[in-house]
Amino acid sequence: MIPLWATIQIGKFRLWLPLLLIWILLAPIVLLLTPVVAIVLLAVRVNPIKTFGMLYNILRATRGTYIEVAEARETVLIQIH
Amino acid sequence: MSENRKQILEMLAAGKVNATEAEDLLAALDSAPAPTVADPATKPKPKYLRVVVDSLDKKHDTPTKVNIRIPMQLLRAGVRLAGLIPAAAHAHLNDAMKERGIPFDVSQIKPENLEEIIEQLNDLTVDVDEKHDNVQVRVFCE
Repeated sequence: MIPLWATIQIGKFRLWLPLLLIWILLAPIVLLLTPVVAIVLLAVRVNPIKTFGMLYNILRATRGTYIEVAEARETVLIQIH
Repeated sequence: MSENRKQILEMLAAGKVNATEAEDLLAALDSAPAPTVADPATKPKPKYLRVVVDSLDKKHDTPTKVNIRIPMQLLRAGVRLAGLIPAAAHAHLNDAMKERGIPFDVSQIKPENLEEIIEQLNDLTVDVDEKHDNVQVRVFCE
């Protein structure tokens, strides 16, 4: 399953990002761009179906990513759920 | 013959135990559960690659902590995507990496090789403890 929300913290500012909404907003753009990208991939002799499948796998695999850089004064945190 | 059974028979032969005692010991040995050996195949596969860095900023005397957790699935997916790079681009990529001091052949990145690496990563822990610079780096899987 693709990540549905992310937590981003910069200092004391913490943001819960509903990724699901972003995916919904991006869906029409992705649908429009897919044929163009597929043609380009075919032109460079890369299997577009495989590529899209792998890109989806990468997106799906980002779930569970956790990056935290903490200093005494500043903390940056990115967590994908 | 097991080592314990042999030991009991040797004790009997040496006269340290009598026949009844030896029989009791052998019976006890038979009823004892067999020792379980950890099977590496049943060991759970690591899910995440962790990188933890602890350092002390000498300038401001403040601690800095970096904590990164990368899902193994992301590594797998990345390598599979790298496998799609057209053969014509391999030479350019290899040259570019060599220029940056990484002599690496991109064509060698294959999913089956990655699985092997991930299997080995299960037992991997890298600890770098630089006391002089107050930096501690840990790379491990969980």
